[in-house]
Amino acid sequence: MSAAAVAGENPLRRALRSGRVVVGGSILLILLFCAVAAPLIAPYDPNEQDLLNALKGPFWSDNAEPGFWLGTDNLGRDTLSRLIYGTRVALFVAVCAAVGTMLFGTMLALLAGYFGGVVDWIISRAVDLWMSFPPVVLSLILIVGFGVGIGNVILAIILVDWTRFCRVVRSEVLVIRRQNYVDAARLSGFSHLRTMVREVLPAAAPLIITLMSLEMGIAVIVEAILSFVGMSVEASIPAWGVMIADARNYMYQSAWGLVLPILAIVTTVLAFNLLGDGLRRTFDARLQQH
Amino acid sequence: MSLLALNDVNVTTEAGGRPVDVLRDVSLAIGRGELVGVVGESGAGKSMVGRLIAGMLPRGFAASRGSVTFRDRDLLAMAPRERTGLLGDAIAFVPQHPMTSLNPVLSLGAQFDEHLRRLGQEGKAARRERAVAALDSVHLPRPADLLTRFPHQLSGGQCQRALIAMAFAGKPDLIIADEPTTALDVITQARVMELIDELQRDSETGLLFITHDLRLAAQHCQRIAVMYAGEIVETGPAAALLGDPLHPYTRSLVAANPGIGGPVRRLTALPDHMPGLSGFADLPGCRFAPRCPVRDEACAAARTALTEVAPGRFVRGAGACREAASAAAGQGDLPDAEIAAAAPILSVSGLGKTFRSGRDWLGRRRAPVVAVDGVSLDIAPGEFVGLVGESGSGKSTVARLLLGLETPDDGRIVVDGQDITGPFQRTAKQRIALIQMIFQDPQSALNPRQRIGRLVTQSMEVRRPPARWPERLERARDLLGQTGLPQDTIGRYPVQVSGGQRQRVNIARALCTAPKVLVADEIVSGLDVSVQAQILNLLLDMRAQRRISMLFISHDLSVVRYLCSRVAIMNRGRIVEQGPTEEVFRTPQHDYTKALLAAVP
Amino acid sequence: MSGEILGIVLRRIAVAIPLMLLVSILVFIVLRLIPADPVAMSMPPNATNEDIEALRREMGLHLPVMHQYAIWLGHILEGDLGRSIAFGQPVFKLIGQSLPATIELAAFGALFATAIGLPGGILLFRLRGRPSEQAVDVGSTLMMSIPEFLWALFLILVFGVAFNLLPFAGRLPPDMTIPKVTGFLLLDCLLTGDFTAFLEAIRHMLLPALALALGTVPLIMRLLRSSLLDVIGEDYVTMARLRGVPERRVVNRHALRNALLPTLSLMGVQFGFLFGGTLLVEVIYSYPGLGNLMVEAVRNTDLPIIQGAALVFALAVLTINLAVDVVYIVVNPKLRRAR
Repeated sequence: MSAAAVAGENPLRRALRSGRVVVGGSILLILLFCAVAAPLIAPYDPNEQDLLNALKGPFWSDNAEPGFWLGTDNLGRDTLSRLIYGTRVALFVAVCAAVGTMLFGTMLALLAGYFGGVVDWIISRAVDLWMSFPPVVLSLILIVGFGVGIGNVILAIILVDWTRFCRVVRSEVLVIRRQNYVDAARLSGFSHLRTMVREVLPAAAPLIITLMSLEMGIAVIVEAILSFVGMSVEASIPAWGVMIADARNYMYQSAWGLVLPILAIVTTVLAFNLLGDGLRRTFDARLQQH
Repeated sequence: MSLLALNDVNVTTEAGGRPVDVLRDVSLAIGRGELVGVVGESGAGKSMVGRLIAGMLPRGFAASRGSVTFRDRDLLAMAPRERTGLLGDAIAFVPQHPMTSLNPVLSLGAQFDEHLRRLGQEGKAARRERAVAALDSVHLPRPADLLTRFPHQLSGGQCQRALIAMAFAGKPDLIIADEPTTALDVITQARVMELIDELQRDSETGLLFITHDLRLAAQHCQRIAVMYAGEIVETGPAAALLGDPLHPYTRSLVAANPGIGGPVRRLTALPDHMPGLSGFADLPGCRFAPRCPVRDEACAAARTALTEVAPGRFVRGAGACREAASAAAGQGDLPDAEIAAAAPILSVSGLGKTFRSGRDWLGRRRAPVVAVDGVSLDIAPGEFVGLVGESGSGKSTVARLLLGLETPDDGRIVVDGQDITGPFQRTAKQRIALIQMIFQDPQSALNPRQRIGRLVTQSMEVRRPPARWPERLERARDLLGQTGLPQDTIGRYPVQVSGGQRQRVNIARALCTAPKVLVADEIVSGLDVSVQAQILNLLLDMRAQRRISMLFISHDLSVVRYLCSRVAIMNRGRIVEQGPTEEVFRTPQHDYTKALLAAVP
Repeated sequence: MSGEILGIVLRRIAVAIPLMLLVSILVFIVLRLIPADPVAMSMPPNATNEDIEALRREMGLHLPVMHQYAIWLGHILEGDLGRSIAFGQPVFKLIGQSLPATIELAAFGALFATAIGLPGGILLFRLRGRPSEQAVDVGSTLMMSIPEFLWALFLILVFGVAFNLLPFAGRLPPDMTIPKVTGFLLLDCLLTGDFTAFLEAIRHMLLPALALALGTVPLIMRLLRSSLLDVIGEDYVTMARLRGVPERRVVNRHALRNALLPTLSLMGVQFGFLFGGTLLVEVIYSYPGLGNLMVEAVRNTDLPIIQGAALVFALAVLTINLAVDVVYIVVNPKLRRAR
């Protein structure tokens, strides 16, 4: 492959040639559709109880009940509808938390990596401090402090995971900073801000995009963990973690009630990871050509 | 019978869906105890010869024709296991990058032990004794102590000596040394070459010396083979080949090399650059034809063969090439630099910089490093001054201080009567208009995400009032013209042009603000000889047309001699000697200068 | 040499102390934000205002924040982490009872992770360039997408519910008790010579430890593989081949030793996270450890326990990091000073 073709090519088109990106992206598009169109496609209200039809299995199992495609939980709520509505919380938290961590983490990483010295020292020590908490423990403490609710969950994830961004992007910025073109920009009269935005940031952008995709997957997991221990959204909002926690007590009667939300989480995280992995490979291939 | 003989070998790979001969018709012989040089620019295929003999061609490359006989057996027909058995034992290697060629987590002793055990030496104590003796034979002091050390605790020269000791330890029949001194400083380089000479003279070992440096090869080898684009274009006795090159490419190689003695003449530079791998497929005939000064229409299609023109001298191509070439070779005189006796345009006095504190990964305080110590230097308008030193001498720090990328601890920097000593923020405005830098490595100095037109006019982006795009475009065209770049490069990305063109882009950008002084840091050290000559001539033309001044930082004395009327020699942060170039080179005063000059091949 | 390592360790500990102080400040501040009033919660509903005020004073809640922090910190340094609001017992004692179980579990998890991750990484590396590489690669991406708490549930479903092979509740069968000596169950079993209990304890630990390990394994595998890929292109590897060192030895002695270094650093960070992963795994396996205690406390808003447990978790992470750093320094000669 000639360098000429690579440099001029639209990165998006290149990314779309990666199987991982296509598969991950397609799954995410379907999930996004479910989240947006939940009231239209869900057969039931997710909180509607039907105690006569509790703990039914999905349509392929023995104790299936027509109408409840994927069965019901212990209160007779329709599993399919709850799964569909669950994408709302998952994706909303994923997107908001990832954007938040990206903004916060990247900003600090840019400052630390670009200026070095004292700025870098302070930010690096803050990262060390944060990293001395296991993420689950820290997010739990933060939620205890803030109280439950979707906004607080997002805030907690941002406050826990910015370090992940900051560490990785900082070392990338350090590498970019050593490139002579950054010095050259300064010698052309660029201000620090302009140098950062025009020269450093675009070089780090592929990494940032990749990390963001992975971070969305992580946010889905953290939200699920918090709802699993009952510390995420209000009880009336259907979330996958809550479904798992409910179904755990009845796993002998209805294992599918536990398996399905687990699959939902794994599929979503897998989609984000495939997308991130595919993007990373696309960008790596680009860089190898240079 | 030769020890090693390559007979009409082709090595083939695939590029762009077509088979490409990376090596074509390569024939080469080395006798016992003989030292043979293979010389070529990067990409000529000279390292491929070494890999072919080692049986370690890269994935997708294979020998498609010919034979490689070693001690009367064809290596290509040998079982892989048996072939591997020869390595280290009968065929040993000296690598290009000594510092990274020793395993960083194993002590030198452990690596010697492994090697000697593989050579069949029984007994740990006996192996240790042999290792000590081997290190002693390469004149490394306190060898027993060295065995306990790790590679990062040694200098590059020490590493290479140890690796040479390892290579000779098994008394091999053949040693292949691929650019063994390129990564080393000039003085170390000379000493390591002396060592190789010495060890090889005392043994029956044949040595294949692969290098890009024709002079270095001529100094040490008995015979030389010159390679171009995967072919050997000329071979012969070293002295004869250097003194009377016959092939047009060899001629241009000699003519493009500035040299350290004799009259300074304008270098003849070949146009363009050697084609890359995928370009070979488009050259069915003479691969040198597109750049050849004496080509005709037939050349592009005609396959040429090596013919013996004198005993032991083989040249590729028809007789016409040789005759025409000798007629075409004429070197012009150098335009003398007109140096005004006026006040200096750049005046540096007492410049000093110490890098303090800083801690390593474990929180251990690093010793402060005095990088630049009391450097004073004047440059007149239209003058090129050379700043020569080995790596770590502080010459690059001087450049960064002049440009304001570092702030000096002491001293003053005055350009065109304006003091610009202070930190960059305060002096940026004056600096940008007065002094600019050409960086060493254009790969790193040009943002790969921006087009060339935008890159060269970068400084107009922040001008007040901001420059409009048509204005920038016009300026970009002008700059490309000045630096000899084709106009269509304006919309390309840096990766889409050749290495030499990238360096021109780099120069064009530095010219954008029309500065009075340029600082050039090792700007030709990464380039092949023929491209280097193009850039050097470009710089001379710029001086003639624009009366620009330049601080030319380099480790290469011959290039400095060609370009600069005055020179300053730097060692350990200090300027140890400075004066008119010819005077310094003819009658060096300082011991360090003498050592440097003595080390030039 | 050893003196140098000792110096480095001491310096690391010296760095860890202010970090630990900052950690305590962070914990204190975050939990001061808490919307619920811990005083009101720990009083019976019919308490009078005077009673509440008295307790406030007793708990020092009327003092300025910095002052409160100083008192709190002073108590911690004396080993007094306060009393649990829900259980009424000293937090120090509660944590002391549950910590050994967590340490045991995390240690086994780390052991499993290493035992699976490193050979897995080498296997991935050996598969490079083969058609099966893609499949294994996608498989590892899938594994990366399953966090330890989902592994925990999944393993229960497969090995506990579906096949009923292994127990998944507690540390021992309900009818079995072991006298407490050290608190470390496996050790106690051996000390009392009860091998039936020892085997039972191992059986109970298998699933949760495996769940913890599986969350970390793909990261270790991938990093080791990519480090090996980096290292295999290094000059010293080529040079070893050119000296005729057999390929097997080139990989095992020359490449692997170097590739393990970055993997080791990552494992330090990951084992810290793994320790945090015990939180949910313990809840899911009803494992009486620190994580279970903390989640229970979170549900009850039992502030003293949350604070205490958070500090212990942070201390554990710092200790793990320190230990891994020391190992790293010992095995990496590049960090020794040039002589």
